[in-house]
Amino acid sequence: MVVRGFSLAERGVSEAIGFILIFSIVIAGIGLVTLYGYPMLLKQQTSANERIMEKNMIVLQNDVKSLAYKTVPYKETSLKIDGGSLTVYNSTSTPAVSRLDIRDCDPSGDEYIGAFQSGDLRYSSESAGTDISLQNGAVVMRPHAEPGSVMLAEPRWFYDAQTNTMVINLIGFNSSYTIARAGIGTVQMAMGETGYTRVDIPAGNLLCVVYTPDPTPEGQNYQVAWDNYFINSMKMTPTGTDHEYRLPTDVTNPAILVIKKYDVIIKSL
Amino acid sequence: MARLNDDAQWIILMGFLVSFSLFFLALIINQSTVVGQSTAESVIEFPKNDIRDISHVIKEHAEKNGKIDDRVYHDIINLSIQREGAVVNYTLNTQYYQRLDVFNHSLIHYNNGVTTYSENWTSE
Repeated sequence: MVVRGFSLAERGVSEAIGFILIFSIVIAGIGLVTLYGYPMLLKQQTSANERIMEKNMIVLQNDVKSLAYKTVPYKETSLKIDGGSLTVYNSTSTPAVSRLDIRDCDPSGDEYIGAFQSGDLRYSSESAGTDISLQNGAVVMRPHAEPGSVMLAEPRWFYDAQTNTMVINLIGFNSSYTIARAGIGTVQMAMGETGYTRVDIPAGNLLCVVYTPDPTPEGQNYQVAWDNYFINSMKMTPTGTDHEYRLPTDVTNPAILVIKKYDVIIKSL
Repeated sequence: MARLNDDAQWIILMGFLVSFSLFFLALIINQSTVVGQSTAESVIEFPKNDIRDISHVIKEHAEKNGKIDDRVYHDIINLSIQREGAVVNYTLNTQYYQRLDVFNHSLIHYNNGVTTYSENWTSE
């Protein structure tokens, strides 16, 4: 802006030096963008891929919910898998991602469910270094390098205090072979067999759940996520024995234990 | 050198304004997918028809008999847990105000792990 009262000064450095100054500013700008901006963009892309996949897994969990709880026979979802691959692990695959036992807390008591293996639908991200897994109706996530895991969406287990009923839904995956997919794919799921068990528990009997994670040292260990779910969301109490939790049923009254088993068949990815 | 002409400064200012508003819009759009999804889920999750069906069956049954038929009671409860995965319980009382003024009073309890519903119902 011209300040009135002063004459515009035309003395200054030569045009050549001015050119060099401007040119070096431009080069420095480009340099900064390539050095810092570009890696940041790539990192953004990786975390965006991861977040998109988190959402995708929750969408798939909703599909599984529709199949299991709303008696929908078949579901199909198209999704884009970037930065990693999505794989189905059968409920019979080894090492099992987890094992569940539901039984009387008394070791000599009845066993209601023995060694249930859910299998899982797992997204393994190479770029972000995390695994996101849909297992037993829950979406859980763990980093590759360090221990620990987190539950993104909970399964539908519940305790009804009024009728002293504990309802446990177990969802297993089945496919005729191990399928993996990267890129754009369609997940086709169909409902397989379902099982229903209702047990009347006399007053005074304690019920326990035992969750055993993948025992291999570098395996899929989602212990922390499930531990938090059992203790904080389901109000179960750890019994002191490893991986064993007492169900929140009222012991002074007769309780009802309902276990529903669903078999989800993955036709293709 | 000619006089400095600053008439077009507003173009640059507008440029800033537009770019900042785009930035904020991008932030809002980023959030909207999450919100939309969870809202849609909760709408789907609400078991309106299940609750209506169960409440209807119980009321119809109550109007006819005035007391709980043990067989029907267990049928309702077993069907709802098996088919809909919901814990249902109900009580039914017949009450007398005067000698001839009889009405049924029912407490219906429904819980499917996501939605808990209680109904306190009185017949006319």
